[in-house]
Amino acid sequence: MIRTRNAFVPYLFVAPCVALLAFIFGYPLVKIFEFSFRQIRGFTGPFVGLRNYQLILNQPTFHDAITNNAKLLLAVPIIIVISVLIAIVLFERVRGWRVYRTILFVPYILSVPIVAVVLKNIFQFNGPFNETVRALGMEFLALDWLGDPNVAIWTIMIVVIWREVGFGIVLMLSRLLGLNAETLEAAQLDGANWRQRVLYVIVPQMRGIIEFYAVVNIIGMVAAVFAYVFMVTKGGPGTSTQVMELYIFNMLTRNALPGIASAVSVMLFIAFVIMILILFFLLRRSRSRELA
Amino acid sequence: MKSATALSLGATLSPVMKPFAQSGVDLSMWYWGEQELPGLQAYVDQAVAAWSDAGGGTVDVLLQDTDVVIPQFQTAAAANNAPDVQFLWNGIYHMESVWFGYLSPLNGLVSDAVLAESGATDLSHFEGNQYRVGWYPLQMVIFYNKVLFDNAGLDADAPPATWDALLGACDALVSSGVPAFGGGIQDGFWGEWYFGQALAQSLDTPGEAIQLFIGDLDFREPRYRECWTRLEELVVNGYMNDDMSSLELYPGIDKVVTGDLGMSLSIGTRIPADNAAMDGNLGIMKLPVFGQGALADKPIVDSQGLGISTNSANKDEAADFLEFLNSPGQLDAFWNVTSWMPSNVNWDSSVIEDPVVQQAWDEWNLGEQAPYVSNLIPAQFWTDAMFVASQSIVGGNMTGEEAGEQNARVVQEWRDFNPDLVENYQKWAEDLGN
Repeated sequence: MIRTRNAFVPYLFVAPCVALLAFIFGYPLVKIFEFSFRQIRGFTGPFVGLRNYQLILNQPTFHDAITNNAKLLLAVPIIIVISVLIAIVLFERVRGWRVYRTILFVPYILSVPIVAVVLKNIFQFNGPFNETVRALGMEFLALDWLGDPNVAIWTIMIVVIWREVGFGIVLMLSRLLGLNAETLEAAQLDGANWRQRVLYVIVPQMRGIIEFYAVVNIIGMVAAVFAYVFMVTKGGPGTSTQVMELYIFNMLTRNALPGIASAVSVMLFIAFVIMILILFFLLRRSRSRELA
Repeated sequence: MKSATALSLGATLSPVMKPFAQSGVDLSMWYWGEQELPGLQAYVDQAVAAWSDAGGGTVDVLLQDTDVVIPQFQTAAAANNAPDVQFLWNGIYHMESVWFGYLSPLNGLVSDAVLAESGATDLSHFEGNQYRVGWYPLQMVIFYNKVLFDNAGLDADAPPATWDALLGACDALVSSGVPAFGGGIQDGFWGEWYFGQALAQSLDTPGEAIQLFIGDLDFREPRYRECWTRLEELVVNGYMNDDMSSLELYPGIDKVVTGDLGMSLSIGTRIPADNAAMDGNLGIMKLPVFGQGALADKPIVDSQGLGISTNSANKDEAADFLEFLNSPGQLDAFWNVTSWMPSNVNWDSSVIEDPVVQQAWDEWNLGEQAPYVSNLIPAQFWTDAMFVASQSIVGGNMTGEEAGEQNARVVQEWRDFNPDLVENYQKWAEDLGN
């Protein structure tokens, strides 16, 4: 083992890796910031100050994108609640729970384009889902899932929840399997019913993993729904499923406006930094309270 | 300068075409099209082998995916690494690359005869230069099902030619129990096809379309928003298929083929397979006339094409390759391998057996035609105006008048986002006659 009293030596060892990471992640970030203040054609263009930001913030399509991302955030509590509840049911060792666990995880290992194409066909106006509910006399459920601008964003949300919840279940179950069994037995012996055990014993112990999963999903709903939207609706009908990632994609690849796309990316980046700082603050406060 | 050594292939060329240089130079070519024309990849492989056998050297080909055709080329061109020969969609889809300096004018490189006869259309010209040679044509047509027309008591051999006649035909079809008109608009391309055919009816020149897209003319004027009010009329009257908003373009056209829809917008390349599937009961027609513009009632033809990048160090050899693709032997090979026609007007069409394909060639390609003005749409108008308005009208969520307002707003946004492009568009509008 090498021993040294010079405090800088360890930093020298990691310096090459840090430099490499700084180049890989830092250089594009710097360029994106720079691009956002320029009217880029190809790789460069004139400096335009905050004009790109002004144009974006005044554009109704961008407003629609933000609104739709905000709507998709409603999926986060739904995913968490479903994941926790199903994980707890599986944790109770219902007959065949391992099979159920595997089945519930399958959607997550399917690629988004495959999921999107299949569900897109299922949810067509005269597709299998609507034909089935019509046959069952539930005409009110035969909506134009993809073609009605008031419904399409919720269809996207259903697809996202259906796929993402599989990962949530496995994540929650892995935490449940690590819980202190004595605490649960003690609660049961003290006469706590199932609801009380879940609310006052299990969920508090899962708080950390739930908070982590919530943050991952919040980031996902803002910055990782492109594949769903692009494959299912391409932002339509109209702008009813337009999201910020698709907006960036359109500006970059279709409209050849890297400056505009960069400005939106910068705004997204800053939003994420703020969200992560808030998260760290909440986690730190939570731990402080637990220690107190 | 091109080599003076002629290939034996030169003997098979038309009299106006010069012999090819025996270059032996390695070329690169990026192309697209297998998605809309199955067999194109096999044809390109065959053409490259034939070019090589003739001493033309090798051609390193890359089949591109739809979403990267333009950005991949532009990024490569900006990095001075573009291929020698590039597939180019028509109009604005290659004109922005012209303005960025990524494409080389073909005048002086490719023979005047090939430039004129390859079927590139007027939309390949800017300030007196031509930047594409045509490859294969896309006739913008309306498919109709002759059996459904017969069942509805309509004359299947005399499809509606005027808007009033179309409305009458729609009434008859709906009365017979089938949706009359439509397809699938979920992916937005039906909207583009409709807009390209309908807007043209209000125009006297293609340049007028550019003036609309850059705000020198106003979409709020009744004449220019009429394309949208006519679409609204079809929707309000209940002529469209009820699943149109949830279907994509091609599954929507399939409904005509399967007898579930009377009429739909379509494209020439689908004719051979669809007419065969319908046992010869496919009919094609132009969008019935409602407009007063000089372009109304003219068949609309688009074409895919090929150009030469400014980066190319082998422009002469690349030009030779483009001429080779337009030689009679290669035009015949194109038909033999793809079962579709090349766009070069010198192609011997006597090999066509399907009367509907023959109709498309005779009426759309050889007659007086109008260019496809959707190819003049700036991308921002496509995504934020055309896509949104067409889907919203079909879904019953927007009127034609509101669409005109929305189009005008997006045009202004485009000007704000792209101030550096306005002047080029104005020059282009002059080229295309404003």
